[in-house]
Amino acid sequence: MFRYIVRRLLYMIPVFLGISILSFFTMYAAGDPINIIRIGRPTVTQETLDALRRYYGLDKPVPIQYLNWLSNLLHFDFGKSLYGGRPVNFLIGSWAWETVKLQLISILLAFAISIPIGINSAKKQYSKQDITVTSVSLFGVSMPTFWLALILIIVFSFQLGWLPSAGAHGTPYLWFGNPILDEIAHLILPTTVLVYVMLAQNIRLIRANMLETLRSDYILAARASGLSERKVIYKYALRNTIGPVITYLGISLGMIIAGAPMTEYVFNWPGLGRRFVDAAMKLDFPLVMGITMIITIMTLIANLIIDICYVYIDPRIRLR
Amino acid sequence: MLCLHRPKNKTQVDKEMASNTSEKTKRRGASQWAVAWRRFKRSKAGVFGLIIVMAVFFVGIFGSFFAPYPARPDPDAYQPFYEGDVRKPPGWKYLFGTSSIGTDVLSDIIHGTKYTIYVGLLVTAITMALSIVVGAVAGFYGRWVDNVLMRITEVFLVFPALLFILVFVRIFMLTVGEPFWTIPIINIQIPTGLTLVILILALFNWASNARMIRGEFLRIRELEFIEAERALGASNTRIIFRHILPNLLSSVIVVSSLTIAYAILLEAAVSFLGFGDPNTITWGQILQENFSEMRTVWWAEIFPGIAILLTVFGFNLLGDGLSDALNPRLRE
Repeated sequence: MFRYIVRRLLYMIPVFLGISILSFFTMYAAGDPINIIRIGRPTVTQETLDALRRYYGLDKPVPIQYLNWLSNLLHFDFGKSLYGGRPVNFLIGSWAWETVKLQLISILLAFAISIPIGINSAKKQYSKQDITVTSVSLFGVSMPTFWLALILIIVFSFQLGWLPSAGAHGTPYLWFGNPILDEIAHLILPTTVLVYVMLAQNIRLIRANMLETLRSDYILAARASGLSERKVIYKYALRNTIGPVITYLGISLGMIIAGAPMTEYVFNWPGLGRRFVDAAMKLDFPLVMGITMIITIMTLIANLIIDICYVYIDPRIRLR
Repeated sequence: MLCLHRPKNKTQVDKEMASNTSEKTKRRGASQWAVAWRRFKRSKAGVFGLIIVMAVFFVGIFGSFFAPYPARPDPDAYQPFYEGDVRKPPGWKYLFGTSSIGTDVLSDIIHGTKYTIYVGLLVTAITMALSIVVGAVAGFYGRWVDNVLMRITEVFLVFPALLFILVFVRIFMLTVGEPFWTIPIINIQIPTGLTLVILILALFNWASNARMIRGEFLRIRELEFIEAERALGASNTRIIFRHILPNLLSSVIVVSSLTIAYAILLEAAVSFLGFGDPNTITWGQILQENFSEMRTVWWAEIFPGIAILLTVFGFNLLGDGLSDALNPRLRE
């Protein structure tokens, strides 16, 4: 088990380095980053630019800059924002938590809901229920995340006035002035959006895998030996079904977490995604690179956790 | 049947085979495609998707003839604004209402259709070209080539693509000079900024398709007929282009349809977040323009979204139908 985890960790190093190189060189994608700052600000003098270049260490050769940045990164020093000059990790700190909170709740909820639905519709393939579920989930895959968010806001906050349309905390607290209820009130709409989007994918995957598993011989054997249907499905079939689903989750986590900007933008959620959109708009490179790396690290950690879970679900992995 | 004699020479064998197949198709009267089409027609969802997609293409190509108002750079597009009809709710005069800057939402949607098609098709063409090259090289040559390419693919799969897309689009949008570039002879205007967005979307989206194609390559490479072909002394290029790629065609078609859907969604997201090309009014752009006044002009948020939803839904249905028709293996 220990060796397995170490191997997975080693496996992540090239991926991490690859992403860090890409992330670093986005800064140079359109030439000199300092010149980009100049666009729209014609009054900036050459001396100021030179001073800025020296301040951010951009006068050194590029490979050395990269190594410097990487070593700072490993010390959790992401540099300073181009706007206001505050350190990036100070800016990111509180925002990261809001994103993690939102994502974690939605991922867990999405799984809790999609497993029984997916299994049920696989069990009764081509029944009315199955056809409804598959077509609704195909509809769900086709829906732009942010548009669903817009609709929910229009209906539930603007027309009905039941839920807040923006932010993560209210002043004063909504719902009887209770801070916890206030948090829940703000969470409902964003989590609904995220859950719905993941739900569609998950159900389609679980259904497809379950159908395949149910046709295998060992299920036939289990049924033939007179086990109850419930036991056959939840004890034997589910284990083989959930594996590919979790692998898929690992692959798509990057996309899910990176999809956060859309939801967070619409709900004005004080998270990394929202901040990223601002930073990218202003081309605030240290902040952009910092958030990209934080999200990458979060994705990699989540992948590691998934790999470890995978061993418990599929013991064959450990033997390899 | 076993081929016991040595083939006389390649061209002759080819000719024989060619005449053989053409004769057969004539006699049977049903090619592989005809069979697939027959199977496709049976799935209601697939046909429904095809109808939606055809409708979208129709609006995209002929939309400018029946749109109530002309496309945006034309000052006539702001006619409702001059008449004082800003933020008018949907009604008989303006079927989908007017936007917060005083344009007709229906016309905006109709004119945006061609950009949606452009995005979907071009992103998919580039993505598929990239992923076929990567997948074919990795899947066919195996060993360290495969290893290196798959590690690179993995980086592209794990990393948060949307974030990179946003930054790249923002940086390169600054370098765009002319808003439109006219193709010399046929005189079609191509939006420069949107093309840039397309290139960047394609650059960051090939990874999962490449993985799929590599997997198919690995599978087909091990089949008997490839071994037979090798024994006959066929070169690698011949095996790849004449024998493996044609077998991949059906999966490529299916995945293309799904990639078009995904590309349309992504472009809408990029535009909605305010990173799109301001000179081309895509559906995402309409949503972005009216986002800050969403509380009043909700119709300008709902209808473009329905257009996106329907189009993407159509392509997804089409993809599902095609996969049932072309890959009977995958069915059940």
